[in-house]
Amino acid sequence: MQRKFPRFSLLLLAMILAGCLACECMMTKDPVYMDLANSNAAPSRAFLFGTDAMGRDIFSMIWYGGRISLLIGFLATLISTVAAVLVGSISGYAPSWADGMIMRTTDIVLSIPSLLLTVFLQAAIGGEGVYRLAVVIGLTSWMSMAKVVRTEVLQLKNTDYVLAARCLGGGFFHILRRHLAPNFAASILFMVVMNVRNAIVAESTLSFMGIGLPVGVISWGSMLSLSENALLSRSWWMILIPGAFLVTTLLCLTNLGNYMRKSINKRHSNL
Amino acid sequence: MRRSYITIIEELIRFVLSVFFLSVLVFTLSRVAPGDPLYAYYGDRVEKMGTLEQEAARERLGLHEPIPVQYVRWVKNAAHGDFGISYQYKRDVKEVIAGRLGNTLLLGGLGFVIIFVLALLLGLFCAWREEKRADKIVCGIGTLTSCIPEFWLSLLLILVFSVWLKWLPSSGAYSMGAEGSLADRGRHLLLPLTVVVLGHLWYYAYLVRNRLLEETRADYVLLARMKGLSGKQVLYRHCLRNALPSYLSMMAIAFPHILGGTYVAETVFSYPGIGTLAYESARYQDYNLLMLVSLMTGILVIFGNMIAEILNERIDPRIYLKTEAQQRR
Repeated sequence: MQRKFPRFSLLLLAMILAGCLACECMMTKDPVYMDLANSNAAPSRAFLFGTDAMGRDIFSMIWYGGRISLLIGFLATLISTVAAVLVGSISGYAPSWADGMIMRTTDIVLSIPSLLLTVFLQAAIGGEGVYRLAVVIGLTSWMSMAKVVRTEVLQLKNTDYVLAARCLGGGFFHILRRHLAPNFAASILFMVVMNVRNAIVAESTLSFMGIGLPVGVISWGSMLSLSENALLSRSWWMILIPGAFLVTTLLCLTNLGNYMRKSINKRHSNL
Repeated sequence: MRRSYITIIEELIRFVLSVFFLSVLVFTLSRVAPGDPLYAYYGDRVEKMGTLEQEAARERLGLHEPIPVQYVRWVKNAAHGDFGISYQYKRDVKEVIAGRLGNTLLLGGLGFVIIFVLALLLGLFCAWREEKRADKIVCGIGTLTSCIPEFWLSLLLILVFSVWLKWLPSSGAYSMGAEGSLADRGRHLLLPLTVVVLGHLWYYAYLVRNRLLEETRADYVLLARMKGLSGKQVLYRHCLRNALPSYLSMMAIAFPHILGGTYVAETVFSYPGIGTLAYESARYQDYNLLMLVSLMTGILVIFGNMIAEILNERIDPRIYLKTEAQQRR
């Protein structure tokens, strides 16, 4: 049952990442330049992946916009992971009445549809922009990870070494850093990778629906927000190519995440 | 038996409290967020109105008072079944929602039933063919479908089936003049339904598969095999039966998620449902509509969680015993 190391996924992911980071070398055209004479052009030698309705070169936009999409993915995950670890470990470590209260609150927040929560948060933080969107996505996706952290901490807090650390006068953050975090890190690693994936999905969905990044800020999501137009003009390259990059990245991340998931059981089936 | 009554009462109190906090939260959040509800009511005419006129309009809509006062009045009216009017549609919010509820129930409900059955079947199949080629193929396709964002899948389906092949309509819930036709309804439902089902299916199928794989490693399987039952019989009669309670409780939690998660499909396919309504009302400060929609979905979520907990305790007494033992300790 030992999972194979997802070599191919990792390689592909590294290639996409490298291409996006080094987008200056990859780009054949200026991604923000609107070449109105060549708008809606099909893929050709001049425009490898064609151009969009505003005449921007899609090949260059993919690498340039990928940087933003991936940045939001990682930044939002950083925020949600920190929030999840803090809330989860405080809740698990606190006396049971406080634990109950924190968990109830988490449940109530979870019962607000995530789209509404996003709209509220966005209105509250205000404005449009890459960092703001990352914060909004991060703040709406920490709940389920917090629950896992809490369950782990509940089990860990009664172990002898944590008790010993407390007797020696170790503060909460010291115990969290030295004793709790190393122990639950393995079980949330999978969720961290999945959160990167979910954040990228969230960015693209929100931008597509017109409440994420504006069309002017190039990302995989905002590129796809023009696809209503593309459907009318039958410009398939505008939909299929950015989407293919998006799905490939997500698939590689999922394979990586699945590999990191704790193996359920290494014994053989009795069937 | 006495204990279970107490748990039910406890659950009820928790339910009421949760709904109360949810309503306070949504009420405050929506009003604190910047944006002017007058735009929802009057549109761009607001810009031509003088300050005094705006004040008067605000007073008519009851928006001039402090938030706690507004909340108390909202609760009082809601207790009589009056949830106010939608600023955007200028009709009773209950009417606005009722006009669209059926569409979402059809899409989400049908989606849920299909997911419920297919996830179980796929999970069973994969567990039966564990690590064989068929299992690997299904897992591969499943993982791929779970990685496709719903909005992009919708675009893909529209591109292939509406634009290229011209087989299916790309938007709406029915064609003009064919409101009563069942076949027309079905044709419009097919693509959004595919999106809703594929968006959730593999998540649950994979959970069923893994849950069953856990079961097949238990010792009772060995015993049953030694008694002479075939592997298939053990899987259906014993493993499935043991995995079913957790599946049921999982699906109780899944129900509101699937029903409430139709908004992306609804938006792309311009399908007139609750999802698009919720989105519009949050964006354009249509307070009364927003309150009722989010309360409805919120109650559904809380209710689903409650049913899951009760199911767990009722069907699988081991969970109950375990918590009791923990309490004693």
